[in-house]
Parts: sequence; structure tokens; C-alpha cells
Amino acid sequence: MLWNVTTTLLGGLATTVEIFFLTLLFALPLGLIIAFGTMTKFTPIRWLCNALVWVVRGTPLMLQLIGFFYIPGILGLHIWPGGDPGRMMATVVAFSLNYACYFSVIYRGGIQGVPIGQREAGEVLGMTKSQIFFKITLMQMIKRIVPPMSNEIITLVKDTSLARIIAVYELTFTGFSFMKSAGLVWPLFYTGVFYLLFVGILTIFFNYLERKLDYFR
Amino acid sequence: MTVLEAKHIEKHFGSVRVLEDISFSLEEGQVLAIIGSSGSGKTTLLRCLNFLETPDKGTITVKDELLFDAADPATQRESEIRRKRLHFGLVFQDFNLFPQYTALQNVTLARELMAKTEKTGESLEDIRAEGIELLTMMGLKDRMSNYPHQLSGGQKQRVAIARALAMKPSILCFDEPTSALDPELTGEVLKVIRSLADQDRTMIIVTHEMEFARDVADKVMFMDGGVVVEEGPPSEVFGNPKHPRTRQFLDKFSG
Ligand SMILES: Nc1ncnc2c1ncn2[C@@H]1O[C@H](COP(=O)(O)OP(=O)(O)O)[C@@H](O)[C@H]1O
Ligand SMILES: [Mg+2]
Repeated sequence: MLWNVTTTLLGGLATTVEIFFLTLLFALPLGLIIAFGTMTKFTPIRWLCNALVWVVRGTPLMLQLIGFFYIPGILGLHIWPGGDPGRMMATVVAFSLNYACYFSVIYRGGIQGVPIGQREAGEVLGMTKSQIFFKITLMQMIKRIVPPMSNEIITLVKDTSLARIIAVYELTFTGFSFMKSAGLVWPLFYTGVFYLLFVGILTIFFNYLERKLDYFR
Repeated sequence: MTVLEAKHIEKHFGSVRVLEDISFSLEEGQVLAIIGSSGSGKTTLLRCLNFLETPDKGTITVKDELLFDAADPATQRESEIRRKRLHFGLVFQDFNLFPQYTALQNVTLARELMAKTEKTGESLEDIRAEGIELLTMMGLKDRMSNYPHQLSGGQKQRVAIARALAMKPSILCFDEPTSALDPELTGEVLKVIRSLADQDRTMIIVTHEMEFARDVADKVMFMDGGVVVEEGPPSEVFGNPKHPRTRQFLDKFSG
């Protein structure tokens, strides 16, 4: 029985891991674009990005998930393919946008925390704006944002369980399914072990990253 | 040969006029020392020369090329400013070294990027060799692979000087290069600047080290309230100041 439950939960874990990595893949760069959007001198873009961050941070992720999945259909726009792939896509889109907004705020803080003299030193040496960002600012920003980003990314691990609201078979949902089908409660609690392991690995990774970035101050 | 000619430079921050009708010129190999109390506009003037601030009025000419004319927007194109500002180097009061790079990388980074984007044909080995040479000249041969946080203030400032020199500026500007240093570390930095003066580098040095200015400078400019109050050879400005404000200022230093 334990073996049976474990293999089923591992299937759910695979989906959870998939949501997790796909969300990071899209949200990490998108967050940077939104961060620049909220810092630009061009007012309409700045206003738009600030509004986006406000709406996304101001409403529950669960609501956004439901909205992304159902509203296009209600409007007659069938943008999601049928079945599980469609549910998965809607989940990744909703999660990516949501997390990109949270990341953007962290990025902005990280960029603004780099002293202005760093940028000016680059300018005086004849570097271009993009050289200054990628060769000077970026690394210093990354060092600053590792702790808040690790918090956010660990939260993402557990937020993936929200995807069951649109019937994505992630880890928590598969745990639940044993309650319905066989009246078993313990598999649900057993999922906690998987989350703990996942977060444990991430914690080790982030500690490693922090140590790696310790070579400069 | 006249290297730099600044004419009628004026700069406002909002309604505050920080620089007013500043004009001066600099010959090849000359050292200009700028002195004056805090808030007199010295930093702003250096920042204008380095295109970190845009003057509201005036012109800047380097080696007969009109680099900047406040009245002519064509001289202020972003794309050209990058090339123009390379006539100048700037050493900041608080170093502004890049913390994630070693001393040597700090010196070579901009040149390497330049070689890549402008296709100057310079090899990375040549740039590196030149960086090592500059740091050796600064007395930092054994510090090249240290990161800035592993260096003392005096060492950091010497790396910053090497970094500025690596871009081969026509005019090297220093903004109070020793003001952020512990007193016992100012000597090593002043020594390096002095040796650059001996090599006939064209330099503008904002400083509160009056002895040093008197020794090294060919020309001294005393600024107060955004204007040049007095300008002349050090023997005149220090030895026989004409303006009462200059005398008052210098009196504070003779103790
Ligand atoms: N970015 C700025 N915005 C507004 N005022 C400024 C700015 N930079 C400098 N100032 C003002 O300009 C004046 C001259 O400053 P600064 O050039 O730094 O003088 P100094 O280097 O001689 O001490 C000061 O009154 C200062 O407060
Ligand atoms: Mg100053």
C-alpha cells in the first residue's frame, strides 16, 4: 500500500516540479522586464507596469488561476487546448505573471540598492548602458536579492498546490484523491514529506549560492 | 598646445545656480588645482567636464574639437557622448571600484568591452599586460588579484587611478582623491599623483591638500559660491592672494 501511494504521489510531484520550473523559467526574466517598466522615465509604461503589479499583488493567486483558465472560454476565446495540457498551460501562465510581479519588486529594490556611483564609474569609462547593467549592476543586484528571492521561490513550491482548483493533478491533489477513492487520510499528510524534501534541496542550493557570492562585498 | 578650453560654463539645479560663468583653459602637460570650500561647485564642474551633468550654458573644447555647446543640441547626442567623454578620466572621492572584480579586472574591464564593441583590434592579452603595468606603476603588483574589499582605502584609490589611466584620457580629473582616506594613507595616493605630474600628464585636481596643490600645480583656481574668484600660478594664489575671500579661505589652512 505504501509503495502504491508513493508511486502515485511521485506522479503528482512530477507535475508540481513541472509547474515550479516552468514558472521560474518565465517569471525570472519577465520580472526583470516589469522591474524596468516600473523604473522607466516613460510615464505610460511605468503607469501600466505599476497598475499590473498592483492588480496581481492585490488579488489572490487562486482567483487569478481561475480567471486565466475560465474567462477566455466564457468570452468565447478558446485559447487553451483541451484537457490536461490546457489546464497546465493556464496554470503556468497565471503563476508566471503572478510571480513575475513579486520578483519585479525584489529586482527593483536590488537595482536601486546598487550605489549610483557604480553606474557613473561605468559611464565615465565609456561603457554603454547595457554593458553597465550586465557587467556591473547585475551581479551586485543578484547578490542583494538572493535572500528575498529564496523566500519567494520557496513560497512558490507550496503555492503550486493551488493548481488543484482547476483540476491539475499536482502533489496535493493526488494526496487528496486517496481520501475520496479509498477513504485514506494519511497519503495527504504524506505529501508534506515531499514538499519538505523539495524545500530542503532548495534551501541547500540557496545557501550554496550565498556562499558562492561571498567572494565580494 | 591648448588641450582643454571651457568657456562660460553655467549650471543650475532647479532654481539654484551652482556654477556661474566658469572659463579656463589648460595646456598640454599642465596641472590645474581647484580649491575652495565645500559646496562651492568643484565637484559639479568636474562632473560637467565628464558629461555626468549637462551644463545649461557654455562650451567645452578639447584639442580644437568642440565637444559640447549648450546652445547646440547636435553636440549633445547620446551616441557621441560616450566617445567624447573618453577625453576625460575621473577619479572619484569614494573610489567607486566594482566590488565583484579583482583589482586587475577593474582596470581592464572597460578596455576589454571597448575592444569588443568598437573592434579596436586590441587583444585581451595586450590589455591585460597593460593593466598589470599600470598596477605595477601604482605599486600594486602584489595586489592585482585582490578584490576591492580586501584593499585599504589608499590601495583602492590607486586601483581607481590605474582604472582611469587604462582608458588613456587626455585629461585626468581627480575629485578630492584623498578626502575619504585615513590621514596616514593620503601620502601614498598623493605620491602617485605627483609621479603622474612628473610624467607631464594633463590633470585637474580638486583638493584640500594645500601643500600638495602648491607643489604640483602649474595653475590654481579658487572657487567660491559657483564662481572662480581667483586664478593664477600657485606662487601667486598661495603666496600673494589678491582677493579677500581667497585670503580668508587660505587662512583656515595655515592654522
Ligand atoms: N544633484 C544635485 N541636485 C541639487 N543640488 C546639487 C546637486 N549636486 C550638487 N548640488 C549643490 O550644488 C552646490 C555645489 O555642490 P558641489 O559641486 O558638490 O560642491 P563642492 O564639490 O565644491 O563641495 C552645493 O550647494 C550642492 O548642494
Ligand atoms: Mg565635492
